[in-house]
Amino acid sequence: MSDATMTVEVVSAEAHVLSGEARELYARAVEGEIGILPGHAPALVALDVGPLRLTMDDGTKERIAVHKGVLFVGDDGKVIVLADIAERAQDIDLDRAKAKAQRAQERLARGTDADLEARLVSLRKQQLRIQVASGTEATHSG
Amino acid sequence: MAGSGQIRQLKRRIKSVQSTQKITRAMEMIAASRILKAKGRVRAARPYAEGIHDIIRGLAVSNEVRSHPLLVQRDIQRVAVLVNTSDRGLAGAYNANVLKVAERTIAEEEGKGRTVDLYVVGKKGAGYFAYRGRRALQVWEGVADTPHIDEAGDIAETMMARYRHAELDRGWLVYTDFKSSLTQVPVRMELLPVKPTEFEGGREIDPEFIFEPAQDELLNTLIPRYVEAKVFHGLLESSASEHANRQRAMKAATDNAKEVAANLSRIMNQARQEQITTEISEIVGGAEALGD
Repeated sequence: MSDATMTVEVVSAEAHVLSGEARELYARAVEGEIGILPGHAPALVALDVGPLRLTMDDGTKERIAVHKGVLFVGDDGKVIVLADIAERAQDIDLDRAKAKAQRAQERLARGTDADLEARLVSLRKQQLRIQVASGTEATHSG
Repeated sequence: MAGSGQIRQLKRRIKSVQSTQKITRAMEMIAASRILKAKGRVRAARPYAEGIHDIIRGLAVSNEVRSHPLLVQRDIQRVAVLVNTSDRGLAGAYNANVLKVAERTIAEEEGKGRTVDLYVVGKKGAGYFAYRGRRALQVWEGVADTPHIDEAGDIAETMMARYRHAELDRGWLVYTDFKSSLTQVPVRMELLPVKPTEFEGGREIDPEFIFEPAQDELLNTLIPRYVEAKVFHGLLESSASEHANRQRAMKAATDNAKEVAANLSRIMNQARQEQITTEISEIVGGAEALGD
């Protein structure tokens, strides 16, 4: 393993999403945005709902919508992302995501307070998917 | 005596049996391809479940997990039974088999004087229990065929929330284990409480690691994921089993249809032959009468 790259594996609860050599990785942790570069210290970090951005070995960028999970940097420098849900930008149906977000918004407007949090989460998920699919997410947490 | 009317009737029956056979054959082939897909999904879900399990075990070495709300053992008074059945029928004895295990579990728990709360995945199971006057607390429809993790999460959370609030003291998961395309076994598994032994034997995660948030908080978020993964696993195994059972049932139906059609055409041929024989003997008889 060279110093310039790290092996990254992204796995969701339903499927293997991505594996490869990456130069850098950014994710949104529960306690804020984090960046991982090759040679990062071993870590175990809980992830929030947010985009996972990778720059691969060949310079291509990958964007993945991640809904919660953990990021694990092993003592061998390998990075494993265990996401509850993870979708690559190219796998997201933008129109459907928009329709879902629309519905989530409507539900949010008329629902009761009892399950407000759950509806907020589902709206956030859809917004993230739209963000990731259309490639408009900000460089910093936004 | 066999008339042409009888032959026409037989012809019609053969046609109807054959068209049924076409349908069951198509269903058999669809089910066969669905088994492959479902098996693939079971396999694809494994790395996540194993990853979560490994991390929890690693953390459990130097952290106390016994006090986690999902591991706390109480005197058992109220029990939840979650049964995985299918939404659609024509799957042989699939539902009957898994429901038998559910019934046995319910009988056992009630025999010990405990209250049983029923949760059902699949229309078939819901119908079965409703008919017997036992209402499920909650029914999930449209999940069994191709389960997704958010649905599994929803189902798991329903039970976990009640467990955390001490409204439940135990949770059973009843599903069908897909051993192979030929054998599927209905099984039950104690979902809650999670047993501390399940988290033993891990390789300690170096305390020098950067933990964000702290280790105990990480455990708090990961243990529910572990339970969700188990429910998801049960759903996926059940779905693969459902398709395997349907394939087998539809193969049997196709074979039966073939046999019925063969028998009917034999009868029809016999009737036709008889008719011809009768006609010939009538003609011969008529000719002889004229010839005299």
